[in-house]
Amino acid sequence: MTDAAVPVTQSAVEQFTERYLRSLGCSIEHSDDYWVVSVPDTTDTEIPHGKHTLVRGEGAPDGDDDSTKRLHPESAFFQRLLREAAERSPTGKLSIESESDIETPKWIQRSDVEVQNAQFVPYYDRTAAVVLFRVGIETVSEYQKEFLRAVAVDSRSEEHLPRLAESFLELTSVESSEAPSGSAELTQTEARPLLDTARELVINEIQDRLDEIHREASRAADSEVEEYRQLQEHRITELQEEHSNLSAKINDLSEQINTGDEDSRVQALRERKELKSEYEELNETLNELRERRDGGFPERQREIRERHSLDVQVTPLTLTEVEYERGEVDFELTNGSRGQTVTLGYGSGIGVTETVRCASCDQELSEQDPVQKISNGLECQRCAKER
Amino acid sequence: MYITHTCLYERMSGYDLVDIEVTHESADDLFDSLSEDSNRGDHLQSIQAVRLQAGQPDSELRSLKELDENSVKLLEHQVDAAYRALFEMDGKALLADEVGLGKTIEVGMILKEMHFRQTDESVLILTPAQLAKQWQAELREKFGLDFVCNYDDEFEDFDAHDYIIASIDTAKSERHRETVLKRNWDVLVLDEAHYVKNEETDRYDLIDQLSYNYAFFLTATPIQNELTDLYNVVSLLRPGLFGTRDVFHHYFVNSNQETLVNRDELQDRLNKVMVRNRREDTDIDFTDRTIDTRTFDPTPKERELYQAVSNYVKGAYSQDQGQKLVLMLLQKEVVSSPVALKQTIEKRLYEQSELTHADELESILDLIDEIDTVTKQERLLDIVEEARDTVEMGRVIVFTQFRATQQQILDRLASEGYTVHAFHGGHSSSEKEQIVEDFEEEGGILVSTDAMSEGRNLQFCNILVNLDLPWNPMRVEQRIGRVHRIGQKRDVFIFNMALNDTVEEYVLERLYHKIDLFQQSVGELSSILSRLEESGTSFEDEIFERLVNAGSEVDLENDFDAMAVDLQEQRDLANKLEEFNSGVFEGFDLGESDD
Ligand SMILES: [Zn+2]
Repeated sequence: MTDAAVPVTQSAVEQFTERYLRSLGCSIEHSDDYWVVSVPDTTDTEIPHGKHTLVRGEGAPDGDDDSTKRLHPESAFFQRLLREAAERSPTGKLSIESESDIETPKWIQRSDVEVQNAQFVPYYDRTAAVVLFRVGIETVSEYQKEFLRAVAVDSRSEEHLPRLAESFLELTSVESSEAPSGSAELTQTEARPLLDTARELVINEIQDRLDEIHREASRAADSEVEEYRQLQEHRITELQEEHSNLSAKINDLSEQINTGDEDSRVQALRERKELKSEYEELNETLNELRERRDGGFPERQREIRERHSLDVQVTPLTLTEVEYERGEVDFELTNGSRGQTVTLGYGSGIGVTETVRCASCDQELSEQDPVQKISNGLECQRCAKER
Repeated sequence: MYITHTCLYERMSGYDLVDIEVTHESADDLFDSLSEDSNRGDHLQSIQAVRLQAGQPDSELRSLKELDENSVKLLEHQVDAAYRALFEMDGKALLADEVGLGKTIEVGMILKEMHFRQTDESVLILTPAQLAKQWQAELREKFGLDFVCNYDDEFEDFDAHDYIIASIDTAKSERHRETVLKRNWDVLVLDEAHYVKNEETDRYDLIDQLSYNYAFFLTATPIQNELTDLYNVVSLLRPGLFGTRDVFHHYFVNSNQETLVNRDELQDRLNKVMVRNRREDTDIDFTDRTIDTRTFDPTPKERELYQAVSNYVKGAYSQDQGQKLVLMLLQKEVVSSPVALKQTIEKRLYEQSELTHADELESILDLIDEIDTVTKQERLLDIVEEARDTVEMGRVIVFTQFRATQQQILDRLASEGYTVHAFHGGHSSSEKEQIVEDFEEEGGILVSTDAMSEGRNLQFCNILVNLDLPWNPMRVEQRIGRVHRIGQKRDVFIFNMALNDTVEEYVLERLYHKIDLFQQSVGELSSILSRLEESGTSFEDEIFERLVNAGSEVDLENDFDAMAVDLQEQRDLANKLEEFNSGVFEGFDLGESDD
């Protein structure tokens, strides 16, 4: 699936900025290294009214005054412009024109069969909802990952239309300056179930990526658990040593108590008492630690795994009602002297909507097994070769 | 709205999966917008704005165009490695090119770019001791990046400077360790990263505890003894990438330790953190290097002088080891030129009144005065004369360690009618640039001390003379590296000059030739010498000790042969390691991507 994000090159920055500012009613005078932008008083924008100098690219600004701004992918001015533009009109309508070139299916493109002519006859106007989702995936061990994905769903049937989403992305590239558009006619009630379907679809589409990140996070958590386990193991060994040292000392003192004179006996008794309580304490710590070890440090494990858990946030940013047409295409095919016309279901922006099977083996024609013979119905390459 | 996914992923052996929680953010804004009568603007522009907001800011190496093409020639694989390390690996990468492909350049580019983007407030470069100064010179001269080295006088401590190059052993020493660890470094560069492979060493511990945002580790041989080394080095950079040690072992290492299994999965993971370019995949093509070592019989007077100085050095050292450095200097100067020797002796005689062996030194001065023919200088004329007739503009570069020798040669060559240029550490850096430029334009002979450091490109010249020989193989290779480098289009000729039966001849014949020094690249050499250094002695010391402690001529020869055997072993080990690593990574695509 294609990523809906576009690379933010300097030329994309300039193209977009110019078009946006002009659509607001601003005027722009170009020089080599900078633009002078006039924002009329009547303009509906957060950009202060008046004259601004936009310096192209990076480097030190010419002056520090507020009217001089930089124009490059990371510049504050450009980021602000994007925010404003994004919020301005998050829903709307676009149309995919049917007069554009008719898309030939891969199983014809990959074959020796030629298309002499193709004629699209639209029967119905259809609409689809195309939603741009921001998907953010967060976990402690990885940098936050963010994707922008487009999902298209037919408004009536809720059919998933991945090809339409791709056409939508082509139609809305930064280069495109005009697309037939208007206000969306969908009501909230109509849009709600479509959006829900799209939410499910977008999760499905990123599932592989999600699985991969999930595995990485799980591995990282596991390493940390292991590290913790080793640390505790080490501590247990240390405590055990201390434990046996204390026990030896206590034994020594007991010896003294049995053999020494009165004074040293009292002294030894006092010391032994102290050591014994220390010994008890140590014993307790050690036992507790061993118990936790034998149980596999469940709280700690839980804590670590919780910290490494994955947070996925799905945010719909725009919703576009896309008008497209469905109907049929007549493909006039030729192969040498043979000719045949095939009629297939077709949609503008989504291409051929029908699958076609080999007349001989009944397998679906595909990029890998394209059509080969057209004299006797459509026959696939494999069947044609076997003859 | 919350939906929690219960996942039924296939469990990979060895670890449990963490929870995953999917949150669907509300779409109220969209619904509100739907019910508004008219939108304020152009929906297409809103879509484009959203798509631009999600896009990566144009990632390219923006600092590249700032680099001076004359100072550094960048190769495609280097640019590619720098790019991947910065943008595809989030600034934590193991640069593991095969030897000689310019990993230092890759790091230079990375640091330059970070400097350009102002993400380098503090940078720490840790290297083996003998490479620290070279790193410093290279970054300065090729990339215009100024670092303080822990061997500089101005170096105070690790919290006193923001751009530091230090030997890793200095950094881990008791005196500095705490300061190094207290700081949060923006960038850590670790050269010869294989020396931290063992998780039980102080070095590993230091790197493990250092805190940093970006890290670039360099090594041509990530695997030293066993495949776990790879686990250790990679885990320092990306903890958890391989899971636990046990999982790594079970999953990726064949039980006999020699081979890797599940290679596709391993390659996928390594690709997130490691770049390894292979020589055969790059367009580096070095021209041939011809070594011509010429030894000459000294005149009887020169022989007498050499004996006198050697006896003096030996005697003085046996009485007072504290004078080692100056004695070593005398021993080196006597084979360079009498005039170099003279200066040092006079200085000692007249500046240190209570000197013990004054009369011995006086008599050496007398011997110096008696010399009227300096054999090496006479023979040098043969070489430059030949060059004048056969090489473009007669360009020859002559290296000597001593300023006095340099001056004498310059005078002599000038008197013979040659165009000469002098290069030494006393020039300012703009003067140095001018000298190199003049040499290129006017031709003739450039006589240089070893101040001609890494970073100066002299590939327009292809004849180099070692009038005397540093006792440090890295120095020798650095000299050669000035002319025999990427961009040299002609075969290179190296002339070594030595007098028979002198220390120089021993070093040359018994040591340098035995390890093929003159055919090794800096990378190969540093891996040989780093191993030697592990044992704690410097190459110079080894030579000197052998020289002064040998009982007889035969002893001396045997001693040098023994040292050569050690070196050969190190070299063989280094070669084996290289081979082993290329074997392990064979078939792994960890270099330039095709797209
Ligand atoms: Zn068939």
